[in-house]
Amino acid sequence: MWKKLRNPVLLFSLVFVSAASWLHAAESAPQSVQVTVRSILAGSKSDEFDPKLKSIEQQLKPLKHRSYRALKDETQTIPWQGSKAFEIPGGRSLTIATQEFQNERIGLKIRLTQGDKPLIDTTVKIPNRGNIILGGPAHEGGSLILSISAATQ
Amino acid sequence: MSQCDAIQESIGRWLDGELKATDSEAVRSHVEGCLACGAARQRLEKIQTTLGGLLRAQASQLEFAPFWREVRRRIDEKRPWHEELIERVQSQLTAPRLAWAVPAAIILALGFISYAKWPLGGQVSNYASVESIDTHGRSVALLREDETKTTIIWLYQDPEGDNENVEEATKSGPAF
Amino acid sequence: MELSDWQLVEKCQAGDADAFQVLVSRYHQKVFMVILGLMRNREDALEVAQETFFRAYRKIKSFQGGSSFYTWIYRIAVNNAIDAQRKQKRNPLDFHENIEGIFEARNEVANDPFADVHDRELRENMSKAINELTPEHKAVIVLRTIEGMSYKDIGEILGCSEGTVMSRLHYARKKLQEKLRAYL
Repeated sequence: MWKKLRNPVLLFSLVFVSAASWLHAAESAPQSVQVTVRSILAGSKSDEFDPKLKSIEQQLKPLKHRSYRALKDETQTIPWQGSKAFEIPGGRSLTIATQEFQNERIGLKIRLTQGDKPLIDTTVKIPNRGNIILGGPAHEGGSLILSISAATQ
Repeated sequence: MSQCDAIQESIGRWLDGELKATDSEAVRSHVEGCLACGAARQRLEKIQTTLGGLLRAQASQLEFAPFWREVRRRIDEKRPWHEELIERVQSQLTAPRLAWAVPAAIILALGFISYAKWPLGGQVSNYASVESIDTHGRSVALLREDETKTTIIWLYQDPEGDNENVEEATKSGPAF
Repeated sequence: MELSDWQLVEKCQAGDADAFQVLVSRYHQKVFMVILGLMRNREDALEVAQETFFRAYRKIKSFQGGSSFYTWIYRIAVNNAIDAQRKQKRNPLDFHENIEGIFEARNEVANDPFADVHDRELRENMSKAINELTPEHKAVIVLRTIEGMSYKDIGEILGCSEGTVMSRLHYARKKLQEKLRAYL
């Protein structure tokens, strides 16, 4: 097989097909996006750190709360150009719509509502397999923090 | 396909000495005993002999001295510098080299595109970016944490009250 | 003692033009024969043959002995002839000159053993039949006929596989037999 690869025409074809596949893969939109929303309760009454949140401990440090407790994790697969709603503690809802995928960054449109009342509408671009933190709404004497992560499929 | 058809397909190779010994022997013994295949052999040999004879007859009249004089004249003739240059360039652009140059050029182009798409040695910004934001009248803070490259959107509570825990929630806002 | 082709090549590479002359004297007729088989007329074949040796002289320093000298020179000859033929295709009037060439050959070999009418007609029509083949098919049949080269050597000269040589030869012979059936 290696002898055959010395044939420049064969090698050229191989390189050409690889290049075309690579470029196609690099630029074409993924089929769907897997989104995980972690709901976290941040408080100041005690010093406790939920071990379940170990993976994002460094990310939460800037918020300088004394305690962090995982409330709920929810993962959904959102089809491209589609949207899904995530149930958030405290009667809230987080609607996430997928927008675009470019340069390994996923564009999302995010709306957080409390009942019918919109709290925040934002459009963000998250690195593939990265996340963004959204926090602030009051909950159970502390603050609600949402870690929104997304990965293409 | 009859045996004769198969043999006649191989007669050329047999006459050229390109068959294996066993196949050669099989063809020979059939041709010597078969009128049709024998005739096919004769036709092929006649074509070969006639063509060869024609060309040899012409070539035998070719005298060396005038031929060499003309070749020598070309060798000694000074050629314009641009013809020399073109010939040198053309001699470098041989088919095998070009064939290798093409995949090499593609690989270089891919490398360039990769670098252009992901500058600074391939590092993409790991920060999430906020393209637009509407907090419906509330205050908001955007924070970027360098160590973990984290983007944080912090929504401050509406003093008019989203819920009964506003005061405590306000107090427990982030210290940044 | 006669020097080998490679010894002469080494002398040429060192700048000895006389050594090149010896090489030309060894191969000029054979090269001319091959080119004549590929070209439409003698004058053009002569021109291409001279050009072939001229180009060989220019390239001799790059010849590294990977193949035999005769394979190398035939490769240059065949490529030049095929290129020249392709240019000639734009000038169909050359065909008439070719007919003259054939009659000339016939007269020159009037004392040959092929005296009967069929053989004469075969020779007259041979050139026309050969010229109706593509350059690639012509090349294989000429190299095989004149030089009795192996398929491997022919493949090396033409830059193709033995299998391709075999199938081109088979096709060329089949076509020639069809066209010349009445005279065979």
